[in-house]
Amino acid sequence: MKIDRETYRLIDNGKIGSIALTIGLMGLVAGTVGFIIDREQFFHAYLTAFIFWLSLSLGGLFFTMLHHIVGARWSVVLRRISENIMAVMPLMALLAVPLLFGLGDLYHWSHEDIIAGNKLLQGKAAYLNTTFFIIRMVGYFIIWLVLSRLLYQVSLRQDKGHQVSLTRKMRLISAPGIILFAVTFTFASFDWLMSLDAHWYSTIFGVYVFSGSLLGMLALMTIIAVTWRKNHILDKDITVEHYHDLGKLMFAFTIFWGYMAFSQYFLIWYGNIPEETLWFLHRWENSWKIVSLVIVFGHFVIPFFLLFPQVTKRRPGMLLFISLWLLLMHWLDLYWLVLPTLHPHGVHFSWLDPATMLGTGGLFIWYLGRRTAAVPLLPTGDPHLETSKHFINH
Amino acid sequence: MPEDAPLIAGHPTFGDITDQISGITERRTPPVWYLALGAAVSLLMVLVGSVGYLVWEGVGIWGLNNPVGWGWAIINFVWWVGIGHAGTLISAILFLLRQRWRTSINRFAEAMTLFAISCALIFPAIHVGRIWVVYWMFPVPNQMGMWPNFRSPLLWDVFAVSTYFTASLLFWYTGLIPDLATFRDRAVKKIKKYIFGALALGWRGGNRQWRHYELAYLILAGISTPLVLSVHSVVSTDFAVSILPGWHTTIFPPYFVAGAIFSGFAMVVTLTIVARKIFSLENIITVNHLEKMTKVILLTGSMVGYAYGMEFFIAWYSGNIYEQFVFINRAFGQYAWAYWIMIGCNVIVPQLFWFRKLRTSITVMFLASILINIGMWFERFVIVVTSLAQDFLPASWDYYKPTIWDISTFVGSFGLFFTLFLLFIRFLPMISMTEVKAVLPEADPHNYRHGDRHE
Repeated sequence: MKIDRETYRLIDNGKIGSIALTIGLMGLVAGTVGFIIDREQFFHAYLTAFIFWLSLSLGGLFFTMLHHIVGARWSVVLRRISENIMAVMPLMALLAVPLLFGLGDLYHWSHEDIIAGNKLLQGKAAYLNTTFFIIRMVGYFIIWLVLSRLLYQVSLRQDKGHQVSLTRKMRLISAPGIILFAVTFTFASFDWLMSLDAHWYSTIFGVYVFSGSLLGMLALMTIIAVTWRKNHILDKDITVEHYHDLGKLMFAFTIFWGYMAFSQYFLIWYGNIPEETLWFLHRWENSWKIVSLVIVFGHFVIPFFLLFPQVTKRRPGMLLFISLWLLLMHWLDLYWLVLPTLHPHGVHFSWLDPATMLGTGGLFIWYLGRRTAAVPLLPTGDPHLETSKHFINH
Repeated sequence: MPEDAPLIAGHPTFGDITDQISGITERRTPPVWYLALGAAVSLLMVLVGSVGYLVWEGVGIWGLNNPVGWGWAIINFVWWVGIGHAGTLISAILFLLRQRWRTSINRFAEAMTLFAISCALIFPAIHVGRIWVVYWMFPVPNQMGMWPNFRSPLLWDVFAVSTYFTASLLFWYTGLIPDLATFRDRAVKKIKKYIFGALALGWRGGNRQWRHYELAYLILAGISTPLVLSVHSVVSTDFAVSILPGWHTTIFPPYFVAGAIFSGFAMVVTLTIVARKIFSLENIITVNHLEKMTKVILLTGSMVGYAYGMEFFIAWYSGNIYEQFVFINRAFGQYAWAYWIMIGCNVIVPQLFWFRKLRTSITVMFLASILINIGMWFERFVIVVTSLAQDFLPASWDYYKPTIWDISTFVGSFGLFFTLFLLFIRFLPMISMTEVKAVLPEADPHNYRHGDRHE
């Protein structure tokens, strides 16, 4: 990888794009095979993989909007990364299409005969029915596509013209945008994840999924920045100070995720009402117990202590390792949300889990690489770019 | 890029700031202060009287009835604790987030926090009936081998709130030290010099002292930050660990925290608007500061609205008829009036702050901040009373009404709050002089804001 120091564009994108595309296509082929052999397993694995990459993209959208709303300056040099991540949204919309063929395999509320014999599901049928589900899904993607596209376009326009007024414009989009985001993200997580077990419910569920998603996005952002740094790209612009702040944010959101996870678990455990505890009980059965414990320690305790000291936050190499770990944990968390509905009596890893992950992930990274290569790596027209480059923690 | 407007208006020097803030306590006491103190102490006497009668007669003087065993006392407790959240948020979290505008309001807000918690602590203490054994709340070793129930969130409250009070007090005091030294140095009377000298702990303002001081401040900010979240989370478990519909819901901890910050900021806005007017602090607490606070109010108000929405949706989605009943009953039942006051004040009113014109209007924000605190009181009322008054057994349903003693105790608690507050602004620096100086352009050796940029 090489960068043109005048325009901040990549001259040579390296081989990542073509490798990712190859892996992605191979994964898709493998997925198709899996779809024919074992539909149920395929769709559960695919849902996990799809939500994983989508959640990162949505995290990018959130981070960009947050950056504009609070008028952050330190993160200007990082903003293009989060913008590129959110710009993968069209691909994610495309990748959502296969799910439409798997509603019957994923969601038992989509079967008329099951609803007919289930009084609880009859009560929810006004919300949990295939037509409304698809309408909502389309609605979410329209909102996410419009928001991410608007913000991306305005930002690229500012690269050329340096207009200060565009900063204000992006803020004006972001403020209502974040409200729309909160609502759509919550209901999307209810629809796609919570309704897998249509009897179970938790008011905090949307915020729980969100906290993990944003943490995953921060980790991805760190990975991209450190990869550039190793190739001497923007290593003078994204400094140790920025890594320090990224580390602090990951630390904060590790705690935030833990807080959400604990609130959900603890209140259900203490209340001990069967209709709520059952969901956790499924995740405590046989080998799921190990996964649950790995999540508690791997998603919270270990990153908490790793990110606590200043020294790890100021070493890009260390942060790279922690970020990769956090992404792995984010995936495991989603796996733990989805797969127990299919295999309630214990973990049952399938080759389709990695295959769908690599398939969707390969395409995600390929698309992200293309976006990144097409635009300057810094928001060159941002009035606070210089402030951000010289930003120092104190 | 246009330069940012300076945080402090009118280009004051360090000396001007010292004179302005110290002057407030050094000048002759204004008559209006005596009037205000007189009113506050009168209200405080109402509190003392009400509590005295309560101790004499017992909790039977309150309006509690059979299904509603928790009434105004817990509502007032949660309300006051909630108000106490803004101070530490401003001083600790905004400090860690490098929000320099906090310096004009943090001292004020921290003091408010301490006084609000003092008011809050009255209610759990007096509601026990036999107040002379209130120390049983603490796990004190005793010959009877009797311990509080460690699985009870009410006990966690004791720990959470007392920890919060202690940490807030230390934080506030640490922040005060350099300013206390300034007061000592400016004191004319010997007695004042001794008192402030003792309080300033030998502060000389040397380089080493500042280095230690700033590190201590950072550490205290780090310690206080989780407390901002933990206290109201624990308070929320008072309700949420039960299985009562309307109380038992997983979003309660973050929802309570958002609500607490919401009402705390509203109270800070109410008080700062009055104080900046009376003491002519418009140059230090500018409209810009107030506008930023209204944005926090808009944000947290919307979070509270989100939580109301989630509760309602999930109550329906759960398919649980008891959950559904409670929420429909809240909105359309015998307490619908309280519910709609809550929605109006907490969800609708903050939406005014989407508009810059309203965010910068002192009148609008003053009225809104008061309405929000009314709304937040009703939020707790709705949670506590509606879930209890119509419980699982229709035969025991009842309508809960407060008595005169409920009202007088609550109103009296304002007496305590304002008495403490008036004493604070009379004798201590109500704005942090050292921190305000740190955000003046003078404090920046590079002097960016005066033209000669180094680039």
